[in-house]
Amino acid sequence: MEHYLDLVRISAKRHKKESRMTRLCIVLAVFLVAVIFGMADMEMRAQFIQAVKSDGSWHAGFLVNEEQRALIQARPEVEQAARYGALNYNLKDGYQIEGKETVICGLDGELLEMFPDMEIIEGEFPETAEGAVVNESVRGNLGVQIGDEITLTTPEGSVKEYQITGITKNTALTAEHDAFGMFVSMDGFQTLHAKETGAAMEEVYFVMFDRFCNIQKTVADISTQLGLNQKQVRQNAKVLALLFQSRDPYLVQFYFVAAVLAALVVFAGIFMITASMNSNVARRTEFFGMLRCLGADRKQIIRFVRREALGWCKTAIPTGILAGMIVVWILCGMLRFLSPGLFEGMPVFGVSFLGLAAGTVVGFITVLLAARAPAKRASRVSPLAAVSGNAGTIQAAKRAADTRFLKVELALGIHHASGSKKNFFLVAGSFAFSIVLFLAFSTAIDFMHHAINPLRPSAPDIYIYSGDYSNVIPERLVRELETYSWVKHAYGRGCAEITLQEGGNETAYTVLSYDEQQFRWAEDSLVEGNLKEVIEGKGVLTVFREGSTLKSGSKVTALTGEEKREIYVAGVMGDVPYDSGLDSNTGNRQGLIICSEELFRKLTGEHGYAVLDVQLHSGISDGKVQKIRKTMEESCGEGISFSDKRIGNQEAKGASYSLAVFLYGFLAVIALIAFFNIINCIGMSVSGRMREYGAMRAIGMSVRQLIRMVSGETMAYIIFGTIAGCAAGLPVNRLFFQMLVTSRWGDAWEMPVWELLLILSVMICSVVFAVMGPAGQIKRMSVADTISIR
Amino acid sequence: MEILKVENLSKIYGAGEARVDALKHVSFSMERGEFGAVVGASGSGKSTLLNCIGGLDSANEGKIFINGRDLFAMEETERTVFRRQNIGFIFQSFHLISELNVEQNIIFPLLLDYKRPDKRQVEEILEVLGLENRRKHLPGQLSGGQQQRVAIGRALITRPALVLADEPTGNLDSQSSQDVMDLLCKASRYYQQTVLMITHNMNLTAQADRVFQVADGVLGELGGE
Repeated sequence: MEHYLDLVRISAKRHKKESRMTRLCIVLAVFLVAVIFGMADMEMRAQFIQAVKSDGSWHAGFLVNEEQRALIQARPEVEQAARYGALNYNLKDGYQIEGKETVICGLDGELLEMFPDMEIIEGEFPETAEGAVVNESVRGNLGVQIGDEITLTTPEGSVKEYQITGITKNTALTAEHDAFGMFVSMDGFQTLHAKETGAAMEEVYFVMFDRFCNIQKTVADISTQLGLNQKQVRQNAKVLALLFQSRDPYLVQFYFVAAVLAALVVFAGIFMITASMNSNVARRTEFFGMLRCLGADRKQIIRFVRREALGWCKTAIPTGILAGMIVVWILCGMLRFLSPGLFEGMPVFGVSFLGLAAGTVVGFITVLLAARAPAKRASRVSPLAAVSGNAGTIQAAKRAADTRFLKVELALGIHHASGSKKNFFLVAGSFAFSIVLFLAFSTAIDFMHHAINPLRPSAPDIYIYSGDYSNVIPERLVRELETYSWVKHAYGRGCAEITLQEGGNETAYTVLSYDEQQFRWAEDSLVEGNLKEVIEGKGVLTVFREGSTLKSGSKVTALTGEEKREIYVAGVMGDVPYDSGLDSNTGNRQGLIICSEELFRKLTGEHGYAVLDVQLHSGISDGKVQKIRKTMEESCGEGISFSDKRIGNQEAKGASYSLAVFLYGFLAVIALIAFFNIINCIGMSVSGRMREYGAMRAIGMSVRQLIRMVSGETMAYIIFGTIAGCAAGLPVNRLFFQMLVTSRWGDAWEMPVWELLLILSVMICSVVFAVMGPAGQIKRMSVADTISIR
Repeated sequence: MEILKVENLSKIYGAGEARVDALKHVSFSMERGEFGAVVGASGSGKSTLLNCIGGLDSANEGKIFINGRDLFAMEETERTVFRRQNIGFIFQSFHLISELNVEQNIIFPLLLDYKRPDKRQVEEILEVLGLENRRKHLPGQLSGGQQQRVAIGRALITRPALVLADEPTGNLDSQSSQDVMDLLCKASRYYQQTVLMITHNMNLTAQADRVFQVADGVLGELGGE
């Protein structure tokens, strides 16, 4: 030992067990900050990958002429720029290849870098006006290869030959509408456009700026300089929002909420560490008094406490960060597992520098700041107090406990909690912060439910339908498709119009048939009645409609041709994902009734389906989808449409998965931290009073009474923390809800009952576990050994 | 009337080479109102003896009877209740509860039994201890001698048959030490309570009826007044 501060190292070795809880608290706080910031960072990356995949990585698009384009390109903020134009985007203009509507995109090759979804998977971008890249649909349907020629017919009836130079993937638009797509060079596109339309071509100039410049200001500058109106400028809202470059008022509110949440997380970490440090140093006033007695001056004591705190950081901060990173890795792994195609760009073992930096900074700075007050207090301990034994290992009480109204052990327990106002404020405050954090973050779940519509379990991957919704798809096609191993489910719906006598009037209704699988999916939407009778063909379901007289249990007369047939309404559904037909008289949507296939045939006399949905197992190749298509064409012949919804479904699933994984992850982490923080704080308080408990046991306090005392102390912290947490958390919850949900979707704020119940259950569980540990310690305590420790 | 009876008490710590025989076949008894003092070098086993008699520590062999009840035959909870009703403890470092004032500290054992303290009795004890004017003070606001007087009051409030004092004057100056000794004598003579006190100070044994010496775990009697 060469320096007095070497005592820190020696004392740390000797008191490893005593400082364990403080170190654990630092680990928890750093973990909380690192994991929340790390998860937010990863979620931003996931959303960014999503946004770039679906909308491209461009920042702004300008409808400008050649001269203006050159001016934009010359700006130093521009990193990448490319032209783009499209013909037949609505698939109704009559540009066709082999009779199929075709979207024609003209673009500069650089544009492909901004739109990863338009990637050329084989071959290359055409160098001449006669070359074209076609999508996989063209290759699959027409059996063409690179180097082959394809013929495009235009609405004017002219014919244009292109040589295939490459193949691109299908997009959500072309796949869903069963359309073809082709890219041509900008020269080729201009030639075609001029020849066909004779009009001035409208091409968009997509620009990607340096992400660190002020994009909004740059766009505004460009618009002013070039005299562009609002219609001539478009922005990639999602990407700009994710780069914090949006000025959309809603997104500005969103940024504000995110900033407040980040600050709350940081404050929660600070609270936890401060409470723990305060309690740790307060317990050792006698030790610090002794150091003073031996000649240490105040500054030396402050240095001692700081050095000690930094020593804890050495292991606690890396542990907290590592634990945080592991959780982030697990969540990223989950995303990749849930949606491998969409999140393949996300690293499983990626390091979030934001989480790492936030955890380290919060850990170090908080520990240093938190050490200041206890260090000052320790330095103020009188040497006389230390040697006379009056300093004690616990803080001297300032007022007596009130034993008049409560049992003495409860009164003492409550007094242990509230005796030191600062300690009480810090500990109960850290519990309250957990509730505030939970309630604040839970509004993000409400936002998610509004912003992202998760796929219904019944959502099809392939949608086969007759154009006029006549029941021309044979029932045997379902059985045929179900023989394919890659088909998970195939299910059809018959569709017809039926007239019901409702309240003396005759009203047209759309009737749909469901099979058993569809009824099972419908169960969640059932508001009244039961499905059993409907499945057995004894009744029908109706879909709720304001003013409808069809109620569950009622009977109604159906006019089927010349016959009248009484049908029984066995249940009411809240909603269904299908539209009914339009009423020819009013133009409004018709009411909808749903029945079994058997009853449908009896009511309408029709067989077959108007719609056939197919769900596929994951990772099915396009070739297998083409096989389904061929089977359909062989079975149904002409007039049946085929829609591949896989890309759109995957995008919807990906967005909802990533948000759900991270947002529920946030809540789980907060609840977990609250749980461990409570257990740790109570454990610390108990271990600091063990000698006092030993004396109480010697005087005659039973183990049960001691446990009640600890419970009283815990309850005091929890009750105050919960009241304070709810008092602060509910207004925050309300404010955030109004900013994120009400301002956008109009829903009024409601008391978050479930969230409150959940976090209160966590608090109650924590109380039980927090008392269980010390209870065991008290039971095992040797009274003689405890009181004899000097 | 025999209040305390110790029969063949042995206490061993550790095993093998680390084995320490803290108490070796200790036997003695004390009558009602007797004042005994135990002397011995540090580590001789004095405190172990007191902790065993107080039911704070267990023995490897032997029995202890207080008021005719076998201490080691009781369940833990029963022994705790028995202790608070029949044994008063006084410690060298007082062990007062810092959150309770003087009066609350004194009546603490009664509160643990959920009993209402008899006001007259509390007043009497406060008067005997000379703490009437300090009743609302917290331990931190008292001198060492006053704190030890509070601890004595706490030990006497339940009128226990046996008072165990572990170096009660160890932390006190000579005047305070004399005050404490006077109070313990008073408990023994006036209230007829049996007092067993550990001390290092041979001068203090002058007031004891009997003086025991513990050396290497073996108890011997030196005599008395």
